[in-house]
Amino acid sequence: MTTLIKLEILRVLRNRRYLVFTLILPTVLYLVMVNAYGKVDSLGGVSIKAYFMVAMATLGTVSASMTTNANRIALERKSGWARQLRLTALPGYGYVAAKIASTAASTLPSILVIFVLAYSEGVRLSASEWLLLGLTLWIGGFVFAALGVALGYSAAPDSIQPIIMIVYTVMLILGGTYGQFGGSFGAFAKWTPMALYNQLGRVAQTGASLDGGTMAAVLGYAVAFISLAAFLYQRDRRES
Amino acid sequence: MSTSVEQRTGAGRRGPGSGEVAAFRNVSKQFGAVKAVNDISLVLHPGETVAFLGRNGAGKSTSIDMLLGLRDPSAGSVTLFGGTPRQAILDGRVGVMLQSGGLMPDVKVRELVGFACGVHPRGYQVDAVLATAGITELADRMVDKLSGGQEQRVRFAIATAGDSDLIVLDEPTTGMDVKARQAFWSVMRAQADAGRTVLFATHYLEEADSIADRVLVMHNGRLIADGTAAEIKARAGQRKISFDLHPQDGADLSLLKLLPAVSSLDVSGHTVRIGSEDADATVAAIYRAGFYPRGLEVAGVGLEQAFFAITGEQDAADESAALGNALDKGNAR
Repeated sequence: MTTLIKLEILRVLRNRRYLVFTLILPTVLYLVMVNAYGKVDSLGGVSIKAYFMVAMATLGTVSASMTTNANRIALERKSGWARQLRLTALPGYGYVAAKIASTAASTLPSILVIFVLAYSEGVRLSASEWLLLGLTLWIGGFVFAALGVALGYSAAPDSIQPIIMIVYTVMLILGGTYGQFGGSFGAFAKWTPMALYNQLGRVAQTGASLDGGTMAAVLGYAVAFISLAAFLYQRDRRES
Repeated sequence: MSTSVEQRTGAGRRGPGSGEVAAFRNVSKQFGAVKAVNDISLVLHPGETVAFLGRNGAGKSTSIDMLLGLRDPSAGSVTLFGGTPRQAILDGRVGVMLQSGGLMPDVKVRELVGFACGVHPRGYQVDAVLATAGITELADRMVDKLSGGQEQRVRFAIATAGDSDLIVLDEPTTGMDVKARQAFWSVMRAQADAGRTVLFATHYLEEADSIADRVLVMHNGRLIADGTAAEIKARAGQRKISFDLHPQDGADLSLLKLLPAVSSLDVSGHTVRIGSEDADATVAAIYRAGFYPRGLEVAGVGLEQAFFAITGEQDAADESAALGNALDKGNAR
């Protein structure tokens, strides 16, 4: 079990896709966004540089935990590796557990890289605020790891790739990664998973208190994604 | 490596009946309207090397899936070492090499085989496993950069990473060249000689003939033959008789047509080839008819021909049964 987790982490760190989507893309986007919004003072109640720090850290964790996981699971179902693993003495939950554990390890660097970048751009928080924000973002990433597992088992392996890209892109746009929507559409968009994740980050960042609605919605998504992942995983094991 | 008759027949190991490795009891598997496996019963005994034959779609893979607990039977029961397949796997009693078993990418061969050793309850040292599988020199290669035959050897290493009692191999030599196949089977024989039970599915019938001490033949979801390769060949009945007739011996070729038990007759030049259902009777009659056969040879057919003979018989039987049913229905109306 620990050997499998170690191997999974090793694989993620060796993977070029991981490097691009979770480290380089958020870094570049951060610099682009901060410059593009150069004339605006604040967004979502915080400074531009602080807003995009959270937005890009969540982009990194969601990329690592969702797309990497979902793609891997789809590919490994197709290649038969997932099947081969079921013929080892590894416990039944071992495969998914190792995937989520390696996700947890691989999202940390993406959060830290963005923190360092934002700090160098002048974002200042107290030590406890940095810690709280980091933890919030890290733990929030697990919810998306569950969504990644669910997507990886959502359909036949061949048709999963476009499903992942659509869900991922729509979530990012609605979630405020590239800026926020106004009006009634904005009122709807702020209840999407990524928007809530970003909201959670900003709350941790500013030390504001969390309202009950946001908290309930976050927990609701966590329960929904985890149940969905468990259901689809079981369905796959029954079928093959 | 020499193989004694004793090893090949399994007589030197614990014989049949001294335990039960795997058992299928009236097992069927239905996919919608298709019956992929139809009422199979069989028991595998410790130390047996069993070949599992059948054309594509015969039900081999489905049977292996049920043996390993990857699929549940629609009817009947499958047990491994007296318990569920899943329990046997968790106990590390089964090593498996799947035909479709993909390998984890982005890792080195040593890391992957090391994982297999680590996860097995009685895993061996990774270096020993690599050496046994003959892939020591591949240890530092990335898994995704291997050729088909090399991948097969890594799969084999995973299947033999620990002290398992049963080794299941689904089409293990697919993608290997002749030399690699020979090397593979000599390694595999060592596993069997160590007292392990080996079950392998193959479509190379010469492999089954030379390695297995028991052959199972599946056809259209049914188990139509279960015995030694020799028994199955005998069941197909055919023997080949060939000899030369010299003109100076004064033979009357038309008499050949009167020989008993002949199923096929081919005369080309001086050479006569006869397929016979009863070689003893045919040969005796050849001499009685006054022939002087030179260079007489009597040979059994290969397992391959036997395989086609018995599956063909089965097809004919199925067809006539279907025809009979259709006629019955017609009469009832």
